[in-house]
Amino acid sequence: MALGILSAVSCSRRGGCSGEYCGTLVIAGTSDLTTLLPPVSDAAIDRDVFDQIFLRLADLAPDGGTIGDAGFVPQLARTWEWTDPLTLVFHLDPRARWQDGPAVTAADVVFTFEAYTDTAIASGDRTALSHIASVTAPDSLTALFRFRDRYPEMFYDAVFHMRILPAHLLANVPRGTWQTAEFGRAPVGDGPYRFVRWTQGQTLELAADSTFFLGRPHLRRVIWRFASDLNAAVTQVVAGEADAIEVLLTPPNIKRAQDAGHLTLYPYAGPTYSFLRFNLRANGDASHPHPIFADPDVRRALVLATDRAQMLQSVFAGNAKIPPGPMTQQWKWLWVPELVIPPFDTAQAAGLLTGRGWRDANGDGIRDRNGRKLSFHLIVPSSSAVRQQYALLLQEQLKAVGVEVLVDPMERATVDERLHAGAFDAALESWQTDPTPTSSVPSIWGLGGPSNFGHYGNATFDRQVAAATSAATPEAAKAAWIAAFGTLAHDAPGIMLFSVDNVAAVDSRVADVRIRPDSWWALLWTWRIPPDKLNERDRVGG
Amino acid sequence: MLPWLLRRVAAGIAIVFAVATLTFAAVHLAPGEPFQPPEGRPMNPAAIERLRRGFGLDQPLPVQYMRYLGALAHGELGESFSRRRPVAAMIGNALPNTVLLAGTALLLDFALGIAIGVFQAARVRRRSDVALTNLTLFFYSLPTFWLGLVLLLVFGQWLHWFPVGGITDPVLYDALPLGGKVLDRLRHLALPALTLGLVGAGGTARFQRAALLEALGQDYVRTARAKGLPERAVLVRHALRDALLPVISLLGLALPFLLTGAVLVETVFSWPGLGKLAADAISARDYPVVLGTTLLVSAAVVLGSLVADVITAAADPRIRLSA
Repeated sequence: MALGILSAVSCSRRGGCSGEYCGTLVIAGTSDLTTLLPPVSDAAIDRDVFDQIFLRLADLAPDGGTIGDAGFVPQLARTWEWTDPLTLVFHLDPRARWQDGPAVTAADVVFTFEAYTDTAIASGDRTALSHIASVTAPDSLTALFRFRDRYPEMFYDAVFHMRILPAHLLANVPRGTWQTAEFGRAPVGDGPYRFVRWTQGQTLELAADSTFFLGRPHLRRVIWRFASDLNAAVTQVVAGEADAIEVLLTPPNIKRAQDAGHLTLYPYAGPTYSFLRFNLRANGDASHPHPIFADPDVRRALVLATDRAQMLQSVFAGNAKIPPGPMTQQWKWLWVPELVIPPFDTAQAAGLLTGRGWRDANGDGIRDRNGRKLSFHLIVPSSSAVRQQYALLLQEQLKAVGVEVLVDPMERATVDERLHAGAFDAALESWQTDPTPTSSVPSIWGLGGPSNFGHYGNATFDRQVAAATSAATPEAAKAAWIAAFGTLAHDAPGIMLFSVDNVAAVDSRVADVRIRPDSWWALLWTWRIPPDKLNERDRVGG
Repeated sequence: MLPWLLRRVAAGIAIVFAVATLTFAAVHLAPGEPFQPPEGRPMNPAAIERLRRGFGLDQPLPVQYMRYLGALAHGELGESFSRRRPVAAMIGNALPNTVLLAGTALLLDFALGIAIGVFQAARVRRRSDVALTNLTLFFYSLPTFWLGLVLLLVFGQWLHWFPVGGITDPVLYDALPLGGKVLDRLRHLALPALTLGLVGAGGTARFQRAALLEALGQDYVRTARAKGLPERAVLVRHALRDALLPVISLLGLALPFLLTGAVLVETVFSWPGLGKLAADAISARDYPVVLGTTLLVSAAVVLGSLVADVITAAADPRIRLSA
């Protein structure tokens, strides 16, 4: 029947597209989009599409670092220079055009900065831009950034968070209405692809901008096809109904893709890490210490009693690493021998627990102290099969040292609410990070950090993090991060469990596939399908 | 009949209003908050607070409720929190897909169910009847999502006879001639409609068999046979007409089954209908979409029940709609 449809296409359109600039790539997505107006959304799939439609002034090179400007490549800005330590000047590429015709100018850059920092828009990137005092436009092709203070990631902050917006189309749209603005459903950008259509809950289609000033994209059409969840998306790729998926995640999915025969797998450094977080304050009452986890020796004992290598093998079959700190694999420069993973040592764990008075007085296999069992609830989102597996493995392993873990799977929204309210003992969390530790580490582990749900606090750690974020050189920053992660490992506010090696699957007819860990599809416009590998689907509509 | 109809319509409106009120209370009291960042992304409390204010969630619950009712009275369902577009437009996009799926499934359900039930009743206690009794019980007992996954695996992923999800082929559809477009839609519809239809047909067949067997034992059937009518005529013209009445009343009950089943089936097959829309909205705590879809479904169920009653009354002269 499928062949019948292809025949119908062939009959209706003989010939079709041929040559270097054909090809349709269907990407299997796991959710629909929110909006295509960049300052308004932080959803991963929205950001993937932003990468195709909107440009930054400069972008991270595939292996680029975030300190200084050496790790960046030009996009809208052809060149840049520091006129003094607090002033960064960008010279825009005069060839850059909005897809409806006008040139991209420095006024667009000024407008974009104003929009991202406007409280009416509620952009998630506003905080990251707080170091920038002003952006001005001395002329139509020059944008001047003035910073409030000097720090190593000034350039990164200036270029990475903002995708430049068309002032001529958005200036008259009241900022208070941007969340639901029509532009977000049919955007006009300046990137390699232009918006074609978005069918709610089904597909998003983009078409290559053949006049793109940085080079004509080889793939003529890119279509996101929205599936219900990861398994459904993988099934589409395995069945040949989609050509690519950015993350397979689990060994069974990887095996399905390998067995499909028509797919090539591309491993790349993952941007997420997962851990068990201890709540150092009482469950639901932050004014009191937690009866179990306020004690650092107990926390250390639980870290020692966890055989993370065995869990990693059971769940990921080697496609992940144990992080020695709160770190993802995309921060390759931080995976150093100085950061040591605590050993799996149940004898030492048992000794620590006994030393703190936790003994099995009644012989039921669970330790207790002053009539209180060494037992806690572990909340885990039911949407994550991997973390549920980990929860059960943790339950089994900690039982061996007399600790009872009561696993509470619950809906993700409920997990979020419990975390924010501090109404939990321990939680299995997963975090997706930026290309730099600067934003996520203080937020998740720093004193007063908005995502520091476990109330961990250590002034030494905070000082070390501050030293890392303000270090003048990459070497100094690295040393400070290593010191901070060492402090964190000693305090054991959580058990770092896994940092995944991402594996993407792409149809084997696609060539020049490169995937950036922080922005999976950012280099899509350089991918191509050689003319001799084009199939009927690639030629349709040519 | 008119007073009965007016009373039923008034009761229906009251039921829909009660559902709207209860759903409003339930979604606001359920754990979880809208506007949370995507999982694993750092939260920005100030940004979330601004969004809450922007969508009126900073107001006391009674104020929000009154505003909701006020908007509803003007036919407005509000803006989606998670998709940032009007709820009415989202429902308008999803509804035809669910109507197509549920309508096809309903057709399969009743066509197959009635045919099997009649076949069984005509061959009662024979091997074919016993075999079909077990088969229909098997399908009736199956969870719809499980059957969907099995069909998807076998006929989609392994045999490649049907697509594994979606409503049309995103690459080819536009380039197809009209016949190809119809064929493409049917291919995408086949597995989800079969999933819903087969489970429903299992129940309908059992119901139809029992109703027909009861009718076959009635005096008027004995009279028809005594008059020398052929067995086929007795079965089709006399017994079946009577035995169809209770099955028609099943129509009203089938609608809620199909709509709730659609939530799971649409999710399994990535079918962009009301069920998937509601399921996604519940996960995202997208209150306006949850309320909008619930309101629509409850209205559809009330209407379906009313239509079934009217059809039953029209088909059975013994029933008078005056109670």
